[in-house]
Amino acid sequence: MSLNDLQGWLVAEGLREALDQLTLHTVVAELDNIVPPTDKAASFDWPRLLLAGSILAQSDQRTYQDAALRIATAAITLSDNEAIKDSGAVLLGKLSNFRAVSLATERGLLTADVEGRLGMALRIEAQHRQMDQSILVQSSGRWIQVNDFQQRFWSQADNYQWLSASAPTASGKTFLVLQWLIDQIRSTEMHVAVYLAPTRALVAEIEANLVSLLGARSGIEVSSLPIREKHDKAHEGGSRAIFVLTQERMHLLANAIGGAFKVDLLVVDEAHKIGDNQRGVILQDAIERASRSNRTLKLVFISPATQNPQELLADAPEGAHTASFESDVPTVLQNLIVAEQVPRKPKLWKLSARQHASLLPLGVVQLGSSPGSLKKRLAFIAAAAGERGGTLVYANRASDSEDIADLISQLIPEVPSDPELLELADLARKGVHPRYRLAPLVERGVAFHYGNMPSLIRSEVERLFRSGKIRFLVCTSTLIEGVNLSCRTIVLRGPRKGVGHPMEAHDFWNLAGRAGRWGDEFQGNIICIDPQDAQAWPDGVPERARFPIKRESDAVIEQGESLADYLDRRATTDLAEFEDPNQFEQVASYLLATFLRQGSIAQSSLAKRHNPAIIERLEASLANIAAQIAVGADIAARHPGVSALGMQRLLEAFRNYKGDVENLLPAAVDSQDSYDRFVTIMRRINQYLFPAFTPDGIIPLHALIVVQWLKGFSLSRMIERNIDYHRRNGRSFKLPVLIRSTMEMVEQIARFRAPKYLSAYVDVLNMHLAAIGREDLIDGDVDIGTQLEFGVSSRTLLSLIELGLSRVSAVALYEKIARDDLNKEDCIAWVRERDAQFEGMDIPAIIVREIRAKLLPEASAGAAASTS
Amino acid sequence: MVKKPVTIGPLHFSKKGDAAAFLKAMLHKYDVGDKVSTGDAEVLLAALALHPNATAKMGLGITHFSVRSANFGSKCFWVNRVDGSSEKFSYKACIRG
Repeated sequence: MSLNDLQGWLVAEGLREALDQLTLHTVVAELDNIVPPTDKAASFDWPRLLLAGSILAQSDQRTYQDAALRIATAAITLSDNEAIKDSGAVLLGKLSNFRAVSLATERGLLTADVEGRLGMALRIEAQHRQMDQSILVQSSGRWIQVNDFQQRFWSQADNYQWLSASAPTASGKTFLVLQWLIDQIRSTEMHVAVYLAPTRALVAEIEANLVSLLGARSGIEVSSLPIREKHDKAHEGGSRAIFVLTQERMHLLANAIGGAFKVDLLVVDEAHKIGDNQRGVILQDAIERASRSNRTLKLVFISPATQNPQELLADAPEGAHTASFESDVPTVLQNLIVAEQVPRKPKLWKLSARQHASLLPLGVVQLGSSPGSLKKRLAFIAAAAGERGGTLVYANRASDSEDIADLISQLIPEVPSDPELLELADLARKGVHPRYRLAPLVERGVAFHYGNMPSLIRSEVERLFRSGKIRFLVCTSTLIEGVNLSCRTIVLRGPRKGVGHPMEAHDFWNLAGRAGRWGDEFQGNIICIDPQDAQAWPDGVPERARFPIKRESDAVIEQGESLADYLDRRATTDLAEFEDPNQFEQVASYLLATFLRQGSIAQSSLAKRHNPAIIERLEASLANIAAQIAVGADIAARHPGVSALGMQRLLEAFRNYKGDVENLLPAAVDSQDSYDRFVTIMRRINQYLFPAFTPDGIIPLHALIVVQWLKGFSLSRMIERNIDYHRRNGRSFKLPVLIRSTMEMVEQIARFRAPKYLSAYVDVLNMHLAAIGREDLIDGDVDIGTQLEFGVSSRTLLSLIELGLSRVSAVALYEKIARDDLNKEDCIAWVRERDAQFEGMDIPAIIVREIRAKLLPEASAGAAASTS
Repeated sequence: MVKKPVTIGPLHFSKKGDAAAFLKAMLHKYDVGDKVSTGDAEVLLAALALHPNATAKMGLGITHFSVRSANFGSKCFWVNRVDGSSEKFSYKACIRG
């Protein structure tokens, strides 16, 4: 019998029953309000189990490693015998799971100094393993203990120019990559590093992590703003710089710098998002742009459990050393639990653990009330089974997340109010609206979380959920979009991604994989409600699956003819005639920009991946379009996702414009005609560039949001205005819907579509102005895209944001500052002079804390120490 | 109904309807947010002088005219004054006198 056969036999037969019993006992201990089928005390043959565990631990297959981890965890948590517990710890060591050993020691499950109690041989082996599983951080001379994945990453990242690493959530990826990044920038000749994170939420999180890992006076600048100053200084030999950016911001930075843009090291987090609809190709373009800036660029891709991380290396420059590796090693036990109603008893729900193909009955949970609706089902089961907290509930819509959170808050026992929760409630009332539903909920330790919420509020929600003060969090798909938030228990029923699409297995597991906080818990629980309901789970509760990486561009190019047809029609037909131009526009724009730059796509690396006949057909269509284009490759490269053909049409419209050329310019937001100018510009964009602001009737509202956003209005003020508008015009509205729709417009219009298309508009206009000798009309100040990204148009506001304040805080502070032209030093001086008066200014406490932390770091470090 | 001729600056119209059509065409030549050209501004200034509230509309003096949005998605001429203030006016009111 080979080792592999033995391992297979152990799991399938030899240990089957014992493993079931272990699972039953370990999982039941994780759930609240559950009545197990029998309360018979378990007895286990620990020596046999532990021996089997050490055999299974040698495998690199997930199933066997899972079983070994289950045995080790059970030995530590279920047994009373110190020797058995110690052996469990040794087994964890064999699994390189040192964090779980530390956790057991912290919890008092293990007596300290396990090693001291081991025999000589075991002790030497354990020490040997610990040394093997440690890495040396060059720049600090410190050793860190790591798991297999982390160790492989560390050794390979140094040896290869392009590396693609994939590992499940909770493998300690982010922590290690940040350590490595800091080590690289400190100990090598790298001057500028860019960390690409595909959402603003993740950008904020990574930036904060880096700042705290680096500590004060590190001599390394960290920035999430596309401002060239730090880039230039780093290359001139000043402080080295790490930029943490979304793909859009990286393009803004590259645009601001122009030809001198140069990245030495690029980390692409959540790299599988290169397959995202609409933004995937912008990410791909950003990676290629960084790669073009420096032929020796060092590049690291990180992705969650993916099938094919090597796919990302296909575009590496010729001769570059590349490597990819993936890990599927469990770090915490993940229990997949299904909840089904007991026949005829709507208040009784039977919970079972899914084991391979069978179900292991765990017991019955009794609900206090009958769950009449689907929302109630989620809320009641989560509140009962996940009562001890750390419970995440997945909702398909933002509105559902608010309702479910509200239901949960009515079911859980009242807890004494906590100052941090009260502060967050205060921020929600002042920052959004006095009647925003989040406020009363967080006071009770329940919250909701979705993409369009202001980032300061969202990150506070995440922080307080991590710390355990928020015990229940109801979230939407924003969480799969790359927020590093794990939980103890996650509860789901029929999860959808976006509007209506059932979640595919890999998305489900990317979400479910957050159950289990490595280093904080031994297990994580995934509770799936109504597993037999075909509407909720069309393909059943998915088996564990890994994400297939596929570029958005490749997926669209594979449609071959349809894309070529689109290109042909785009050249001749008015945009208004297209049913869904979004389907092809992004990739078509990308291909066109590539064609304009290289004169052909036949030589580009994407050509190697596709059928030559398709490439040839596309080449012909592109050549036909390119012949009509005079705007040039540079301007096309500056605006990824915006078609060069659209820009050409816009340029022609400018040339043919009969009126005064000044009428084409946007007006400063403080000018009376600013709003109307935006209305007309959006109409022009729709007509010539791309139908971005549709239907036509919505343009006035979009223009209004853009103007208010640029004026630096706070979200709460924009919501107030929107309410007034509805009242004045006798329109009925529901407050929660109005609040959410205002937030959505800010995110989707003011911060996504408007900057993308308005900055292209202004660029083409400037080109036209230069051509007709009217350079005097070109505004050389901050780019409109950057203004919109941050929602600021005054120098003072931009300085505050550059100093690291969130927009919510910057705007709150700006309301107190009279002058609109302060630079960073002036802002710091202003704050320093009034430091003592903040408490009297009616600014929410969380904002005051952020202002002090970012603008007066020394003073606030002292203050934090004295209050903790 | 008797045709009433109307004179706006250098322009003579044999009936008010023609004057209204002329100003309407001028208005629709512009997009919202546009500044009215110097030539058109001369005509508009003369038209505004016929407005029943001409003095109030002109205020301390006019810098320029513009076309901006008005209620219910329509557009309208606006007068911009030297003190930075701005007010819309109806070309129909100018003709009615």
